Amino acid sequence: MLKYLLVVLSEASTSFCTYEAKARKPGAKGLLPLEKLEAAVTFALKNNLKVNFLYPSQKLGPAYAALVEAVDHVKIVPFSARERHPDAILVVDSADFPAAGDLGKLRGTNIVFRLRRADLPRLSVLLGRLLPRARRVNLVLRDVENYGPDEFAEYGRQLEKASGRVLAMAAKKNPPELNVLTDRLILDKMNNCDAGLTHLTVAPNGRLYVCPAFYEACPDDTLGEIRNEVPIGNRRLLELKYAPICRICDAYHCKRCVFLNRKLTLEINTPSFQQCRVAHVEREASRAYLLKARERIGGTAVFADIPEIAYSDPFEVVEKDKISIAEFKKLGVPQ
Amino acid sequence: MPQNAVIREGNKAWEEGRAKNVTFVVTEDCQLRCRYCYMVGKNKAGRLPFDVARKAIDYLLTERALVPERSVVWDFIGGEPFLEVDLIDRICDYFKARAYELDHPWFDSYRLSFSTNGLLYNEPRVQRFIAKNRTHLSVQITVDGTRAKHDLQRVYPDGHGSYDDVVRSIPRWLDQFPESSTKVTISTDDIPHITESVLHLWGLGIKEVNINVVFEDVWKPGDDERFEGQLVSLADEIIRQGLYETNSCSFFSKTLGHPYRDNMNWCGAGKMLAVDHVGNFFPCVRFLGFSLQNRAPLVIGNISDGLDWNKLRSFLTLDMVSQSPAECIDCDIATGCAWCQGANYDFADTGTIFQRSTSLCKMHKARVRANNYYWNKLGRKLGRDLRAQA
Repeated sequence: MLKYLLVVLSEASTSFCTYEAKARKPGAKGLLPLEKLEAAVTFALKNNLKVNFLYPSQKLGPAYAALVEAVDHVKIVPFSARERHPDAILVVDSADFPAAGDLGKLRGTNIVFRLRRADLPRLSVLLGRLLPRARRVNLVLRDVENYGPDEFAEYGRQLEKASGRVLAMAAKKNPPELNVLTDRLILDKMNNCDAGLTHLTVAPNGRLYVCPAFYEACPDDTLGEIRNEVPIGNRRLLELKYAPICRICDAYHCKRCVFLNRKLTLEINTPSFQQCRVAHVEREASRAYLLKARERIGGTAVFADIPEIAYSDPFEVVEKDKISIAEFKKLGVPQ
Repeated sequence: MPQNAVIREGNKAWEEGRAKNVTFVVTEDCQLRCRYCYMVGKNKAGRLPFDVARKAIDYLLTERALVPERSVVWDFIGGEPFLEVDLIDRICDYFKARAYELDHPWFDSYRLSFSTNGLLYNEPRVQRFIAKNRTHLSVQITVDGTRAKHDLQRVYPDGHGSYDDVVRSIPRWLDQFPESSTKVTISTDDIPHITESVLHLWGLGIKEVNINVVFEDVWKPGDDERFEGQLVSLADEIIRQGLYETNSCSFFSKTLGHPYRDNMNWCGAGKMLAVDHVGNFFPCVRFLGFSLQNRAPLVIGNISDGLDWNKLRSFLTLDMVSQSPAECIDCDIATGCAWCQGANYDFADTGTIFQRSTSLCKMHKARVRANNYYWNKLGRKLGRDLRAQA
């Protein structure tokens, strides 16, 4: 069932995920019309939904602010707009990494860190600057579709280095979370993005989408106007049960991005090898981190073991061995 | 009645499960305009250039890690493949020479497979090709049954039937390939002709008749009952005349009509490979543009960049449960209920291969009832419980 709504306030709103927001003309706002914003807020109020508002750098008018404040929400803003929104989740991009002085003012912030492929060799260094000032860092890999064996190996090395930093901080009070390293420790089932299932997106044109990436890639790929009972064609394919590769996987922290799935494999329920390999580099880094944490600081008994596995992509398993009909039925009835 | 009477079964495919099937669509043209044909966009422009075929062969022979099968079946289809027999001959020569050069295992383990309308079968250049490659050839001529049945569907562009022109080729074909089968296709208008058509084909000497209903949703109310009636009368005739000893028809099978025991996909799309005239790769010929009515072609690579393994992942992990509605998964008579991945893709609500069409449900149920009738009645005649042997 739906739990929240993602509202993209402007064509110039920041991307907080793997998709690229289209480059807009300088100064162009392309704001979500106020009446559409009101419709989105009303829809959220009627359906007990929280709202994640995606902000642009520019300041919005008081009418927008009033509507935003009318509903339970989270603001996601670009780093450049941090001072106007002190409680927001900040989006930091490696392509425009903040100066040390700007970062120094942050304390216990939730940060989305978008990393260009070109900056992969600097990942641990950049994380080393963000983590001490963050309560949580959500690392998002941009252009992951261009990752290959070299990038997977480099990513593993960088996460190993980053895990040393997190480990050092873990001995202190309130250590930061790094999604790709620490989330897997506390999960015992899939915790995917679930776009289209637990959340929908209102784009700047006021129409509904599975997620902002679908809007950015093709505005015609819409679910239509904001209304009750939003129909999604073949919605079951968004469910884990109907994803042959993912349903046997235990990289529980994986975002299982349905947009990337469709872009790279043409099917929303089938992950690319890049997505699986990256998730398994992270899983392995989490496993190594857990072992080291147990050895060095203790207090980790609460975390279940992450078993060692012989594959780096669950496709290898599924291609050879399909689940049985009985196992499939045990997965229950989709939402 | 003899307890040990022989019941003929259909021939098994050569190197089944061990061969890579590669389809060259040598032309998108055909002399015929068969009314039930799924290739809805026939044209003269889509002719395979030799260089495209050469690059495809080079890719498949040199990427041994990606294409590890020990054998290969080169399928040449169209349109009508024998329109391009000289091109095919050149392609085959190139494959043989290249496989020899590379010391590739396919050099000793290959088949050249043809599905043809038979109109050019007696042409000297076709016969030269057959003589040259006889021991590696599988040739299937499509004859749809009686003249009435055949000419109902298999017509020239001006609408006249092709039966007389095809039947002329049958004696020579059966002389050259005595164990050959033919493939019969049934659409809604063909139903009244099924019984007489199967018997007619057997009478022509074609001992194995593979027969399918079209995957398109063409069916009208009552078609299932008419279909069942035809199959029951066919069953009666087979049993009465003892034809089960010498002939087979794929409508009747002991493996048909049981609950699913495994979760395998019915269709082999993605495990095989089709190549079109511009050098694109497809999961099978049903994913080419000229085979699709509603969707864009589904390309999984090309001769320059090779296979796009991301686009193959869905095909290679596709199973029955992920694409079937609950009524199919739990169906008590599910086995043998066919689907075509390309048709599913074409007719799905969204562009996916994970939505199984159920348009054949009633036809399958009718077939299962007739199949039960056949095996029960034949079992009683032979004094054997043939259903229990399933």
